[in-house]
Amino acid sequence: MSIFIASLGFGLVTASIIAIGSMGFTLQFGLTNVLNISFGAMMTFGAMGSLVAEKLGASMWIVVLVAPIVGALATVAVGRLVFPIFSRRGSGLFEMVMVTLAIDLLLQYLVDAVDHEQIFSFNFPSGHSFHFGPIVLTVTQLSIIAGAILLFVSLESLLRRTRLGKALRAMAGEPRLARACGVPTGRIVNVTWIISGALAGLAGLVYMMNSLTVDAFTGANFLPFVLGAAILGRAGSTVGAVVAALAMGMATEIAGAFGGSAYSTVAGFALLAIVLLTRPSGLIGDTLLKEEVTL
Amino acid sequence: MSFYLSTLAVYFGIDLLSAWSLNLQFGFAGVPNFAFIIFQAVGAYTAAILTLGPDTGINSFQRYFFGASLPYPFPLIFATLAGGALSYLIGSFSLKRMRRDYQAAVLLIVSLIAVQVVSTVVRFLNGSNGLTGIPKPFSGVLNISVAAYQWSYAAYVGVVCIIIYFILRRLLRSGWGRAVRAVRDHEDAAATLGLNGTKVRMQVFVFGGMIAGLSGGLLVQFINAWSPASWSYAETFGILTAVIIGGVANNKGAIVGTLLVQIIFLQLPSFLPQIGYPGLTAALQWVVIASIWLIFMAVKPRGIIPEARYKVKQPKGLITHEGDKAEQLLANLAAGEKDRVAK
Repeated sequence: MSIFIASLGFGLVTASIIAIGSMGFTLQFGLTNVLNISFGAMMTFGAMGSLVAEKLGASMWIVVLVAPIVGALATVAVGRLVFPIFSRRGSGLFEMVMVTLAIDLLLQYLVDAVDHEQIFSFNFPSGHSFHFGPIVLTVTQLSIIAGAILLFVSLESLLRRTRLGKALRAMAGEPRLARACGVPTGRIVNVTWIISGALAGLAGLVYMMNSLTVDAFTGANFLPFVLGAAILGRAGSTVGAVVAALAMGMATEIAGAFGGSAYSTVAGFALLAIVLLTRPSGLIGDTLLKEEVTL
Repeated sequence: MSFYLSTLAVYFGIDLLSAWSLNLQFGFAGVPNFAFIIFQAVGAYTAAILTLGPDTGINSFQRYFFGASLPYPFPLIFATLAGGALSYLIGSFSLKRMRRDYQAAVLLIVSLIAVQVVSTVVRFLNGSNGLTGIPKPFSGVLNISVAAYQWSYAAYVGVVCIIIYFILRRLLRSGWGRAVRAVRDHEDAAATLGLNGTKVRMQVFVFGGMIAGLSGGLLVQFINAWSPASWSYAETFGILTAVIIGGVANNKGAIVGTLLVQIIFLQLPSFLPQIGYPGLTAALQWVVIASIWLIFMAVKPRGIIPEARYKVKQPKGLITHEGDKAEQLLANLAAGEKDRVAK
């Protein structure tokens, strides 16, 4: 029983890491309709940026700040410079996936070529451990959970309470109508790239803070969970992404606690397969109608 | 030199089988199989454990389940069947009618997770170290030099390629082949003709998976080792690049694409003198492949040899003057459309 409760604690940490990534992913997917696989490379970029800052001896806060900045810059660069080349040619949704996959591999192997295929260790103080019954969590892990909650609340209030959020939701729902109503669509897309890119960088950073190692393929290895949570939670829904991340985090850690690390990946995967089998309509749903890329 | 050339020839044959199989699924049926490489992998693992013999525990460096030493054609037959069976399993939840980008993402997730699972469970297929020492077929019986063995293996793979090419050609020209393309081009219209899109996709998926399994079996019996490093999701990307560059839904184009991508960009550099640290060439190769992919997607998305236009043979006596006229009109319309798009 205590193993089960302890794994709930770790599940919460894993869920928070997945949630930060999948919120960013679902935001850009919901708005631009591009299933952006290069999100994986953006997470690696964020983590690598923080790693470099840490190796240069920057203070802890700068290390934490570098990841979202690097992620946002890289995402804006790709989103503004590369994607329009293809969307202007009338590439469909699937062609855009292939483009983002190519960009992902390109960036990932560029990092691999530059970093000499090494696995780096990230030195980050984990702080004291706190005991909540059988649950033991370090300060770092607690701040990851707190950070995820904070990000979720601020993203939700941005979407629900501000003019910008209203414009974002309008564009996600009906891009042409939004444009006709005078929503500056180009600027809104830029904002989306910035927010989601920053979240990608942060996701890479918190993943690295938890595992304390990083290499060129960190983002690619973590991507299935982020992508899976975003797909389970339906495109564009931050609440859905967080709930799906919670389910995935718990499932992976509980299965891992009882069956070993291999089962944790299987559990996450099984969850996705079950949902695909049992409620495919929830997946296809209204998004089947949107056949265009909005950039 | 002869050794390298014969090795390249074998790789070329196996990559051709992969390219045709993926072209069948992706090009002709429109299934974005981003998990393609796991079907080759399952064939390779099946052939490996069916030739390695039972795991007696003597080899402490290598653990695997089951294990048998079956005579020659059986490992390959079971590899083919395993490819088909795994395709059926994966296809059962990924081939429903859904947005193709979702489908691609789901299959990509399957591929990424399969690698993680096989790498972590050591007792299953020896984890990330993989299996080694897989015997070559007839190597103890045939009393020939290494070079002769290599060339005969290349010839044998070549024969398999020719057989598969003609089977595919025959199938794709049949009514079934038309059904496959119809479902790809317009699923609703195909449904009104009584075609079940999901079922047709499943047939293509399983058939392609069987060819993939066969190619894996042929590959592992030649290179004698197989590990998760041999089937990362980037490998699927290499085969897909070959298909896209050569020509989507065109098996002759796939030959050109395979020659360019797999042989010239992926295999040849490993025979060149090393630059930088070990592994730099491998990383740069993928950078180059991804760049070529992007350029082709932007400039020539239908590939070097695009899909051949399907011609309907009209029965004699039906070809009237009016028919010719109509055909001419259609051709003109198509040409006009092309000009419009070009503008």
